[in-house]
Amino acid sequence: MSDLKRILLVEDDPKDVELTLTGLAEYNLANEVIVACDGEEALDYLYRRGAHANRQHGNPAVVLLDLKLPKLNGFEVLEKIRSDESLKMIPVVVLTSSNEERDLVRSYKLGVNAYVTKPVEFHQFVNAVKELGAFWAVVNEPPPGSIRKK
Amino acid sequence: MKVAGNVDAHLSAISGFSPPGRSLVFLYGIAVLSVAVSTSLAVLTFNFGIPRGQASIFLFGIAVAVWYGGMGPAIVTVVLSGLAYDYFFVEPIYSLTLGTADIPHFVMFILFAVLVARFTSVRRKIEAELQKSRDELEIKVYERTAELRASEQKYRELIDLSPDPIFVWDKNLRCVLANAAAARLRGCTEQELIGLSGTDTYLPEERYLTEQRLEQARSGAVLRFEREFLRKDNQIIPVEVSLSIAEGDNYQSVVRDISDRKRAEEVLRRSHEELEVKVKERTAELSKANEELQSVNKELEAFAYSVSHDLRAPVRHIAGFTELLQKQTEAALDDKGRRYISMILDSANRMGSLVDDLLAFSRIGRAETQKTTVKLEQLVKEIVDQVAPDTQGRNIQWQIGTLPICHGDPAMLRLVFANLISNALKFTRTRDQAEIQIDSVNHRPDEVGVFVKDNGVGFDMKYKDKLFGVFQRLHSQQAFEGTGIGLATVQRIIHRHGGRVWAESSVDKGAAFYVTLPNRRAS
Repeated sequence: MSDLKRILLVEDDPKDVELTLTGLAEYNLANEVIVACDGEEALDYLYRRGAHANRQHGNPAVVLLDLKLPKLNGFEVLEKIRSDESLKMIPVVVLTSSNEERDLVRSYKLGVNAYVTKPVEFHQFVNAVKELGAFWAVVNEPPPGSIRKK
Repeated sequence: MKVAGNVDAHLSAISGFSPPGRSLVFLYGIAVLSVAVSTSLAVLTFNFGIPRGQASIFLFGIAVAVWYGGMGPAIVTVVLSGLAYDYFFVEPIYSLTLGTADIPHFVMFILFAVLVARFTSVRRKIEAELQKSRDELEIKVYERTAELRASEQKYRELIDLSPDPIFVWDKNLRCVLANAAAARLRGCTEQELIGLSGTDTYLPEERYLTEQRLEQARSGAVLRFEREFLRKDNQIIPVEVSLSIAEGDNYQSVVRDISDRKRAEEVLRRSHEELEVKVKERTAELSKANEELQSVNKELEAFAYSVSHDLRAPVRHIAGFTELLQKQTEAALDDKGRRYISMILDSANRMGSLVDDLLAFSRIGRAETQKTTVKLEQLVKEIVDQVAPDTQGRNIQWQIGTLPICHGDPAMLRLVFANLISNALKFTRTRDQAEIQIDSVNHRPDEVGVFVKDNGVGFDMKYKDKLFGVFQRLHSQQAFEGTGIGLATVQRIIHRHGGRVWAESSVDKGAAFYVTLPNRRAS
């Protein structure tokens, strides 16, 4: 748990987790990922408490956030992140099955950096995840205080 | 003035002063008698020692005879008086010797008689004249009275003929004239009506209003108003009244019983109220139904949301893991196994498209349309450019005419033409040269119309009603892929815009799809 992980994937469905990791594996980014199964665990990780109390300091380079989650949903997690001085600069990408306009609008209003609908087609899905991981974890210069690539 | 003039004329016409209608004996009797009386008086006064003035007594006698007797008796009187005076008072006394001494009193008597005769004549003329004009006046009065009576009779007949009550009131609002209808309205006899006070025919609370109306009538206005008429038995009858000032500071009023009209109005008002109550009830029912519908709609929306989120995930998983399986076991599987895997993939992907299309379709129903001016020609050309990469290697002849500018939601209209164009491309795939024509059509002035026509495989017109149904397909999946949601989407969007959509085709002869939208300039 104290490993440096640069991508926080908040996803409750293990199948989606596996598919996402498969996609990220193609850019060797799978090891950079920490998975939180619900909104509460995601906040635990970010605030270094509970199971993640002993992890090293620093924010992830990007949060990949599902919207429909047990306990706290994706919007609540996003709202919390954006209202906290130490977390608000973290790039957050919503990665969801929903392509409802109201979810899109609400996410952007809460200050999301990107909104990606999971494509049904596997190639498209893998491509989307790959590109997301590559962009946010490799190409993008994360804000100060983020965990940097070794 | 006229009467005075007549009198003048008659005065000048009359001559002589003979009194009319008296017998000669009477007249001459007066003459003789007056001479006898004056002679006796003169002799008596003389004998009583009055020495002079006896002539004046004779003058008196002459005056009486002339006044009453006329010309003949006057002469007789003068002659007799002269002789009597000569006999008793002119020297030699008691003799009828006429001498120069007789001349003075004879002259005096004659002049006096002439004077009195003159006065009498004038008097008689005036009397005659007065009599005559009085007679004429009497005749005129008689004629006028008859005329008036005839006129009154006509007036009366007219009043009695009227089915509406008519009253004439004096300035103190006492009834001076009324017809039979008025008596019927009041519920009394016509005789009872005369002298009836107008105040007894209205309710006390109308007093002030009535005074105001009378004042208006006095200033010359003809008033028409509705009021409540009080019958003798205190029953109240709604009436319509026309009121005006009449001759001699009177008021005249024609009254109409409007009970029937009021009743009809009441019936109408009541049925109107009932109708309003019914409308309210129906509105309440409708609004309840609407609420129910809205709640059902909300449920549907929640359902669609759930489908969007939850149904897509397992489909995605099937597709994803099957692909991974394919990758992992490619070498180990035989042809049959590989074919099964590819069929699983096809099915999963198709289900994904179905879910996505269905969601898009349901979203059209829920989304608010945001209408603005849309240049259809530009929109169609953009779509044609966008599909160009997918049609590489095909021989397609596009024919795009001048398309109208319309009013609508640009995103939705884009979806309409994207669907129609993509269909045209799809169903001309078997043609060596595809011909796709997009042009405007004007059936009605209140619409703008566009058609998309192709030379593709077409369809049988007996299915034209099924064409726009959800998941309705006329071709097999092998021949032409598709989810059967495209034309349903087209129809839904066009209907939401208040337009019409229809198709014309025959098998293997191509198809034409027509779309119309309301012309905003015409409406």
